[in-house]
Amino acid sequence: MSTETKTTTETPAEMGERGLIDRFRASPFVSRLLSNRLALAGIAIIVAMVVIAIYARLFIDLEVISQSQLGTNPNRAAPSVEYLFGTDGQARSLLPRVAYGAWYAMLFGTVTVAASTALGVGLGIIAAYYGDVTDNVIMRTMDVLLAFPSLLLALALVAIFPDELGLWRAVAALTLVYTPRFARVVRGAALTVLENEYIDATVALGAADPRVLVRHVLPNCLAPITVQSTLNFGLAIIDLAALSFLGFGAEAGTPSWGLMLSNGVSQGLLTGIWWWSFFPGLFLALTVLGFNLLGDGMRDALDPRMREAVD
Amino acid sequence: MISTRFVLKRLLLLVPVLVGVASLVFSILHLSPGDPALTIAGERASEEFVRQVEESLGLNDPIWVQYGRFLADAAQFQFGESFIIQRNTTVREVLANKLPVTLELALYGQLIGISLGIPLGILSAVKQDSITDHLTRIGALAGISVPIFWSGPLLILLFAQVLGLLPTSGRISVLYNVEAIRVTGLVTIDTLIAGELDMFVSAVRHMILPASVIGVYSMALISRMMRSSMLEVIRQDYMRTARAKGQGSKITVLKHGFRNAMIPVITVIGIQFGGLLGGAVLTETVFAIGGIGTLLVEAIKVGDYPIVQGTVLTFAFLFTLVNLGVDITYSILDPRIEQ
Repeated sequence: MSTETKTTTETPAEMGERGLIDRFRASPFVSRLLSNRLALAGIAIIVAMVVIAIYARLFIDLEVISQSQLGTNPNRAAPSVEYLFGTDGQARSLLPRVAYGAWYAMLFGTVTVAASTALGVGLGIIAAYYGDVTDNVIMRTMDVLLAFPSLLLALALVAIFPDELGLWRAVAALTLVYTPRFARVVRGAALTVLENEYIDATVALGAADPRVLVRHVLPNCLAPITVQSTLNFGLAIIDLAALSFLGFGAEAGTPSWGLMLSNGVSQGLLTGIWWWSFFPGLFLALTVLGFNLLGDGMRDALDPRMREAVD
Repeated sequence: MISTRFVLKRLLLLVPVLVGVASLVFSILHLSPGDPALTIAGERASEEFVRQVEESLGLNDPIWVQYGRFLADAAQFQFGESFIIQRNTTVREVLANKLPVTLELALYGQLIGISLGIPLGILSAVKQDSITDHLTRIGALAGISVPIFWSGPLLILLFAQVLGLLPTSGRISVLYNVEAIRVTGLVTIDTLIAGELDMFVSAVRHMILPASVIGVYSMALISRMMRSSMLEVIRQDYMRTARAKGQGSKITVLKHGFRNAMIPVITVIGIQFGGLLGGAVLTETVFAIGGIGTLLVEAIKVGDYPIVQGTVLTFAFLFTLVNLGVDITYSILDPRIEQ
């Protein structure tokens, strides 16, 4: 009875929303994904990291955790109840710094993936739709970018941008490095979509190119784009940390995981101070593992052939 | 079995890619904010001297003249002399010295990756959904998620600091002079050629940790690909036929399945070689090994442009060559690809 009254009071907008959620749940992709325990573990890790990142951004004062605490805290203290992750060479507690690192990883990782996805999707769709010279120019340029080992190309590209940009130059370099992967995936998917008759019909009805691309081609390429983005997220977070680790990312003093690891290796290793490397690296590895678990699960859910092999 | 025409065609296709690669490197360096002439002359040099240096480097020529000269030089692998890192030494010499170091590391890493990754992948596929399979898959996923600059330090702390079993840095004990016995530049080979067993043992002990760090990553990628490729092959009709003929399942898997399942795995090995080179930069930094990885990082930091050009192009060239090798191996395994 009560449910009946509830449904009748729903606004059309709410009903539309409910319909969307139901459709989401009913999709074979989502149900396959949610029945994959490893993918669920991945989602759990990512959610935990996002919560830590947002908490750190809201409640941890960046200035306080960046200041030297010499004289106040014990210097280079091993992990204890009071300093769970120990303290660093300036007596700063590592716990809030490592937590803040999650914010940096998520923020810069998201920007990198979003920018390379947008750029790659645009180029890929344009290459597929216009074909001929446009296709050749775009894809051969992508080939050149793909001819470099990715981290090395990023290293070379970072040099173009001024030092003051800090982590943003790493973001810019990696965006260019990842773009070709998206362009390739999307071009392939778009070519398949373009073979459908409804595309010819839309064009015949006089739809303008942008409309065909955005309304009809793009939505049908979303699945491979999402999988590629998720898998790339983990990579972006590792590569951003790697660039900081090598000295081409975050500015000195920034609580980024890569920088903390660099400090742990250059100063903590030979003195046996394991906690300088251990905790930032653990968080970094866990985050990347989360995205890889989810990405793998998504790929399996999208391409059920692998699953059918089991049955 | 494999036609010369196919190889020639592939080689020809490489030319535009390599020209593109060289052009990209040229533009990157010209977009960089640093001033090469000022870097060489030093901050306090007189303006006149800086102009002289500019003149000698040809920096006053129009950009397209510089570009043409760069392409011609790059084709002959001439990048001039190092500005800062090793003054008065040609980039060629510097690279000849450092490249074997990186190659040796990548080679052993790849060896570990292939020799463990392939059997693990097959085992995982054949025993699908067993405990072994689950452990291998989770292990492989962890392997690609753990950054080299974390696993490296942890291994150093464990094996070198706590257990005191292995050395932490460098390629060989400082007591030995490897330059005196240099033949190939690969220490594990040179020490054997010279018959210096003590030195060989030292070189191998230094290689274990860095090669394992790189190897684990490569093993993880290879075993994942091997597993899914093997699973796909096992389902094919010819495999069922072979089993129906009464062949033992082990023979079927190895004889009919392996060769076909290897095709995508070889692609991964090739693609992953690029990751291996990137990994070498990080590994060399962690283990203080002076290869072209650490050279590139230093050159970018101090603005030694000739070295940056030379190293980046060498890396890209190596990577492209490996991919060519992959294409050719491909066509040997599956002659249909040639068409």
